[in-house]
Amino acid sequence: MRSQVYEWDATNYASTNTDISASVGQQTSIFVGGLGNNITKPAETSATEFVVIEDIAVTPTAFVNSGSASDYRGLTLTLGTGIAGPRAYVQVRINTTDYFLDPDNVPNDGIPGSGSPYPRSVNFQPSFNLYPDVYVLPGQVWDVLVTWYNNAGLPTAATTCQSGDLRAFTKYTLYDGPDALIANKLLEMGISINPGNVDWYKRSLLSAQ
Amino acid sequence: MSMRSQVYEWANLAPSGQTSTLRRTTSDLPVVLPANRELDLFIGGYGNNITKPAETTATQFVVIEDIACAAQANGNVQIRINTTDYFQNPDVTNMLGIPGLASPYPRGSASSAAGTDNLLKSFDLYPDVYVLPGQTWQILYTTRDGVGSSSSTDVVAAFVKYTLYDGPDALIANKLLELGVTINPNNVDWYKRSLIEQQQAAASAAAAAAVTGGA
Repeated sequence: MRSQVYEWDATNYASTNTDISASVGQQTSIFVGGLGNNITKPAETSATEFVVIEDIAVTPTAFVNSGSASDYRGLTLTLGTGIAGPRAYVQVRINTTDYFLDPDNVPNDGIPGSGSPYPRSVNFQPSFNLYPDVYVLPGQVWDVLVTWYNNAGLPTAATTCQSGDLRAFTKYTLYDGPDALIANKLLEMGISINPGNVDWYKRSLLSAQ
Repeated sequence: MSMRSQVYEWANLAPSGQTSTLRRTTSDLPVVLPANRELDLFIGGYGNNITKPAETTATQFVVIEDIACAAQANGNVQIRINTTDYFQNPDVTNMLGIPGLASPYPRGSASSAAGTDNLLKSFDLYPDVYVLPGQTWQILYTTRDGVGSSSSTDVVAAFVKYTLYDGPDALIANKLLELGVTINPNNVDWYKRSLIEQQQAAASAAAAAAVTGGA
């Protein structure tokens, strides 16, 4: 059982300005999307792994006045838009199914950065917690997708941004080997999968012997 | 995925020349909002909307856990189930709902566009609001002051967090409602466990009876 974190930066932590405008308004995988820091292959669980996604977050956005042009709480504001920051959203996808839906059952962009900001601060606090957690069963492919709409909310110039201007974050727990088997057993029993319940199941097995 | 945490965010943003949009775009601009008019976040014709009214099917159950809106322009947010408003005045007359000052979105934002304060919530939606199978529900945003003019328009937003129970979990949610037990993921899991335990006990009893009968 291992607590894991993945942080994505749209510039791959570059020290120079990076043009990300080609991806604005599109869902971009934080793992293999071809933008920012990526990993070598899509995130997937093996037959002996079980992943529980416990938190997702993305750079926040502030909603202000369209007549203002001064930066707002560290976020870039362009005159006329009234939007400070990237207006970013983050979605979870399991195999081909998007997790977050609109009330008409149509997949949406996901959780807004204003609802689940990364990083958190006094100015940007979360309204959302991912409960119940999202389970990735053995053999499934999972992805975290970022969509942002306001490139003008990124500093420097309309098409470029710097490290830290657009980031996403996910926290998950990886259950491997015997713990993944126990996680599957807990799932069958309808018990929430968390380290405490996995330990409880182990103790109950020991006391039954 | 039969219990899913869901979020809907609305903002008065739409492409230039439109008052509403079904999909967010990179060219969205603030939309002027009238004062003292209840605007449905889903199909109200302002800002981002969805394709049809929010309603639960026969196999869905929705639990609304949080609502919030921008505090600017004296914003308020109300829940309506079918035709019944959830929040009422003490004299049982209609009201506009929860003020954005009490339940701000984004949390930590300022009380006005030019403000420097950090609003925290004074309100917690507890107990949760249940939308039973087959019901229609709306989240209504109302600004007392109105929003915007041609040159200077506040961007205001509203937010709702809910859990969607679908399929077997919706049936369990209905059962919990009958039992008077609060509907949340923990209690749905508890009910599943109790069903499994009952089945196991019945299977054990049947096996024991078979052994006794055979002897």
